[in-house]
Amino acid sequence: MAKDTSMSVRQGKRKLSRSNRIFKIVNTVFWIAIMFIILYPLYLVIIASVSDPDAIIRGEVVWHPVGFSMRGYEAVFKYNELIRSYGNSLFYTFSSVVLSIVVTLLGAYVLSRPKFKGKAVFNLFFVFTMFFGGGLIPTFLTMRDLGLYNSPLLVILMGSVSVWNLMVARTFIQTSIPHELYEASMIDGASHFAYFGRVVLPLSKTIIAVLAVYYGVAKWNDYFTGLVYLRDRSLFPLQTVLREILATLQVDKTGDYMMNMADDMVSMAEAMKVAQVAKYCIIVVATGPVVILYAFMQKYFEKGVMIGSLKG
Amino acid sequence: MKGAKQSLMKKASGQNKQSLKSYLKNNWQLYVMILPAVVYFFVFNYLPMYGIQIAFKDYKAVLGINGSPWVGLKHFKAFFNAYYFVRLLANTLILNLENLIWGFPIPIIMAIMLNQVKNDRVKRGIQTTIYVPYFISTVVLAGMLYIFLSPTSGIFNTLRGWMGLKAVDYMSSAAAFRPIYIISSIWQGAGYSTILFIAALAGVDQSLYEAAEIDGASIWQKIRYIDIPSLLPTIMMVLVLDCGKLLGSNTEKALVMQTAGNIPTSDIIGVYVYNVGLGSGQFSYTAAIGLFINIINFILIMTVNRISKKATDVGLF
Repeated sequence: MAKDTSMSVRQGKRKLSRSNRIFKIVNTVFWIAIMFIILYPLYLVIIASVSDPDAIIRGEVVWHPVGFSMRGYEAVFKYNELIRSYGNSLFYTFSSVVLSIVVTLLGAYVLSRPKFKGKAVFNLFFVFTMFFGGGLIPTFLTMRDLGLYNSPLLVILMGSVSVWNLMVARTFIQTSIPHELYEASMIDGASHFAYFGRVVLPLSKTIIAVLAVYYGVAKWNDYFTGLVYLRDRSLFPLQTVLREILATLQVDKTGDYMMNMADDMVSMAEAMKVAQVAKYCIIVVATGPVVILYAFMQKYFEKGVMIGSLKG
Repeated sequence: MKGAKQSLMKKASGQNKQSLKSYLKNNWQLYVMILPAVVYFFVFNYLPMYGIQIAFKDYKAVLGINGSPWVGLKHFKAFFNAYYFVRLLANTLILNLENLIWGFPIPIIMAIMLNQVKNDRVKRGIQTTIYVPYFISTVVLAGMLYIFLSPTSGIFNTLRGWMGLKAVDYMSSAAAFRPIYIISSIWQGAGYSTILFIAALAGVDQSLYEAAEIDGASIWQKIRYIDIPSLLPTIMMVLVLDCGKLLGSNTEKALVMQTAGNIPTSDIIGVYVYNVGLGSGQFSYTAAIGLFINIINFILIMTVNRISKKATDVGLF
């Protein structure tokens, strides 16, 4: 009898370990597949960007670069409009992020004060905009009436405060900065300005980084504001210019660009060829900095979602 | 008696006034600090709401938003009677619905599978990688689609060539638009969406797993009886949010993916409003379309939130 039980237990264990082993294999295969799906397109862009245009057109570039060539990159760096829009985007993103962080943190501090009179009204005022808005056309006409059409200021301001980020920052201040500090400072007669500047700000490095990541990526990647609100091409942010080059079926249009950018190219056919490979190079140049920045800020990127999921 | 009560009330209200005054004296800085955010939302969100009135007017640039003549529901009627009304609505709804059905379970599965990766360095590496596509812009994503799906040099048609199949111009195909849109959305967003579920799983009491192990539970059983129930509130919350967006438009993405060939399926409300409103200058007409959809979306999210609150006690607000 006793022998029987011990045998069935052992059998059960063997069965269990077999089922777990199968799971582990499934899981390994699952993640290898996911990694491949995510990384291969990015890898392909990188290897194609340094390949020979002819090899790309013949469909030979699949696993490794073919006929190493930097002609695409050379063409891209000679493309004045692209370089200028790159500078524009750096400027828009930097100024917008600084402004966004200041406005968001100030507002979040106020909303996180437990006895702030009018909190419910202000909350409703902000949150309502998440669910209802003017829509594209009334917004466009309003901005035009305000004289913000074709203005760099509009590109910086549009979308520079998000209710979601405001709530994330509020929750952060509420939960991460000890309330005792606030009470002690208030008893000492500190003003809100002083408390915010001397206590909240120095303790908010994490949330500042979180906000910088989210606001920065959103601004850098936005093409739509430039498309709708800017007329002068010299003001275009990078993504608005990229849209014309990348998101089009017309190959000759891209060829035109390449002809303009590099006068030493012999013929239209040559320009078209380089245009093919330049597309890959443009993707690398436009996306590379963001991805590298992400690698350093990854911790904060996750934190933003985590804090957001807490209820303040 | 009555007089005493009255005087007491008077006293109380006097005190209130006094305390409000002293509150403002001590805390006026709070209102200064919140002012920039208020001004921002007033200018960029509330002023445009005032501009919604052009949906009921015939907007003329010289007359401005206020001066243009009222026309009542003319633009709404025109839209409801337009032959593309049903197509626009259906395109928007089907695209979002299919996107939800295919896209929703994947982050949950990924989070559960990731939770079973026990090597911390591998786990970290996986997490770092799955978030990367989130940082790729809409334009670059669309650009990659145009490149990879190109009938002359794209990788997909190269593969088809190896199998002896003819090249297909996917980006010009109405039938291919939705699958391309959905697959690329999953590729870009699934990793990001797992964060919430990973956080929820990290919060599960470890003693539950230990107890299950002692009872001889397999990994599958632990997932079935511990992981999935623990994720349910988060799943409901995300589902509510997503259902509220069923008639919303990701205009920015659909717009860059639209080509002459795929218009029958890629014409969703947001793209139509952009093309006809800003492209052809039919401001009032498209403002009416925008308002109509905004109201439906508003009702939708309120309803879904109420249902979810009743059914599971999980609501957004």
